[in-house]
Amino acid sequence: MPKRSQKKLAREELLSLFRTYNENKDPKVKEVLVDSYMNLVHSLARRFANRGEPLDDLVQVASMGLLKAIDRFDSSRNVQFTTYAVPTIVGELRRYFRDRSSTIRLPRGLRERSHTLNMAIQSFSQEFGRSPSIAEIAVAVGITEEEVIEGLEGAESTNVASLDTTTEDGDLSLLDIIGGEDKTMRLLDERLSLAGAMSSLDSREQNLLYLRFIEGLSQTEIADRLDISQMHVSRLLRRTLKLLRQDLTSKETYSS
Amino acid sequence: MVEMPDESIHISVPTDERMTSVLRLATTAVASRTGLNIDQADDLNTALDELFRFSMTQENNPPSSVFRIHYNIHADCLEVVTEGIGAGFNDETSKVGRYCRFILEKMMDSVTEKPNPTGGLDVHIIKRIAQGH
Repeated sequence: MPKRSQKKLAREELLSLFRTYNENKDPKVKEVLVDSYMNLVHSLARRFANRGEPLDDLVQVASMGLLKAIDRFDSSRNVQFTTYAVPTIVGELRRYFRDRSSTIRLPRGLRERSHTLNMAIQSFSQEFGRSPSIAEIAVAVGITEEEVIEGLEGAESTNVASLDTTTEDGDLSLLDIIGGEDKTMRLLDERLSLAGAMSSLDSREQNLLYLRFIEGLSQTEIADRLDISQMHVSRLLRRTLKLLRQDLTSKETYSS
Repeated sequence: MVEMPDESIHISVPTDERMTSVLRLATTAVASRTGLNIDQADDLNTALDELFRFSMTQENNPPSSVFRIHYNIHADCLEVVTEGIGAGFNDETSKVGRYCRFILEKMMDSVTEKPNPTGGLDVHIIKRIAQGH
């Protein structure tokens, strides 16, 4: 019983805060309300976390939804805030994905083909211990070489992987798997003679570069070591190189 | 590369970032025709992507210019020549140039430059077909 009354009291407190906020739009009151519902924000953001976007970004989007819900919620109506807020926050998340995907949406057939190719490349690499050619994958999947190229590049051009995304078969982030060592940064800096540029990458991104450029592992070998697909390694490398290039370009432009 | 290629393919794309997917599609198709495996095709794509983007940072390649690529298919390798990349690629004071060269040298089997008569450098890169293929 005491627990129940405590819960009721909290609800009453929140309702009182909403009434106050409806009247005076006090930002401090809004801040308290936001804090009170951040668990809801995280919980809803996590529902969308398997779609290739970093969780931090999703929490930010969901937080925007919460702010809108707080602003629009009418405390005089006999409706619980969460009943109103959940669809608002979910709507914000869905809109985010719709906007994001409007320029990168692949036809369903091509998405499925990309997935099939991914599986076939993994299977071939495991069986023969080497990367397949496009012709070999075409035979394995039973499609033309042109269709393989279309499937590979179609997926590549629309899918930029994040090191924060989870692996295909579990909850571990690639950041966790790749790990990080200070010596990687020093070694790469020495080889690249690019003092400072590497510092724009986190230790895991540096380690991915280390595996590829210092240890000289192929993408298939890195994929095998990290237990991810070759296509995923390709995307991660591309993303990491892009970050490095952007940092270098901006510094060179700034200093010239 | 002194031998005559078995086959040559030439393409030109505007130096526009939106053209990277066109470049990748063409490069993957040529790599497949050469017999490079998927790892090697991806290495080649990464190297050309870096060169393409690097060319966009060079003064002699304004946004409206064209990036010309020649793919020369040989029995044991694919030679790719990109025309008239800015001199910064060979400029030791350019970090972006050094970075681009590092990536190319790590991903390709051979990287050489020659002055282009109309300015800039022609970059010749070679990717050999993997053994045991």
